[in-house]
Amino acid sequence: MCSLKLSELVGPEATDVLRGAIADVAEQSFFMAADPCADDRLRDLASESDAWLAATVRFEEAGCAGVVSCLLPDTLARALFDAFNGRDPLDAPPASDEVFDLVGEFANMVCGAWLTRTVNGPAFVLSPPVVQASARDAALDASASARVVVSLNDLPLVVVARA
Amino acid sequence: MRILIVDDSAMMRAMIKRVVALADVPVDEILEAANGVEALAILESHDVQWLLTDINMPVMNGADLLREIARHDKWRGLGKVIISTDGSTTRRAEAAALDVYRYLEKPFSPEVLRDVLTEVVGAGRS
Repeated sequence: MCSLKLSELVGPEATDVLRGAIADVAEQSFFMAADPCADDRLRDLASESDAWLAATVRFEEAGCAGVVSCLLPDTLARALFDAFNGRDPLDAPPASDEVFDLVGEFANMVCGAWLTRTVNGPAFVLSPPVVQASARDAALDASASARVVVSLNDLPLVVVARA
Repeated sequence: MRILIVDDSAMMRAMIKRVVALADVPVDEILEAANGVEALAILESHDVQWLLTDINMPVMNGADLLREIARHDKWRGLGKVIISTDGSTTRRAEAAALDVYRYLEKPFSPEVLRDVLTEVVGAGRS
């Protein structure tokens, strides 16, 4: 029987838990502060980036399933890569598959941290992240059971969770 | 000392390797595997002292890898550390039952991993 109730994915509490998971991942592993970002600011920041990525992790927990998706501009993906790997800006830029791998790991950490705090009991299974190019509008228009928008180094990140 | 890192993310494996280098612990060789099947093949052909493994991986996940290791006496002395996003109490209890030495939950800072590695090396010397 699924222990994850839809009510746990809807409303301010669920959104706060997701926001906390994002902040911890950003700060501990990527050395970035996750600042709140209102929709107006999201649109301003998003207008500066044409290339976007979507990293999606599917989870299963005791018979129920859902997805967590991270939508971010390519510029943030590369900033995350540099922070995680300590890359010198003068070094050759990373290959796309390396950036995709890193963004997938970011989504994996966010999903895992969120589930650990939300269900905190039963084990869960995460699928390998699927990372692909995305349209900017997908981030601007995303709706879900829980949705959090933050900025990392003034670059926008939209995270949505659906059960 | 030989360490085997098992994680389906090449970037995470690279990060762990970098922390090992910065931690200045006496590790002779670091081996890598992207899933449990690859890890078992390496364990069959190399004398590994410590295993650092993720849980959620394709092909064979970390929990199944640890259960397979537990079935064989030849790997009884292998030290095991889990590095995973799954911090659930069920998974932690499962790990304890499989004689896992430390359970490190992602996300973590490099300093936390360094401290675990230093502890691991100390345990290897005792």
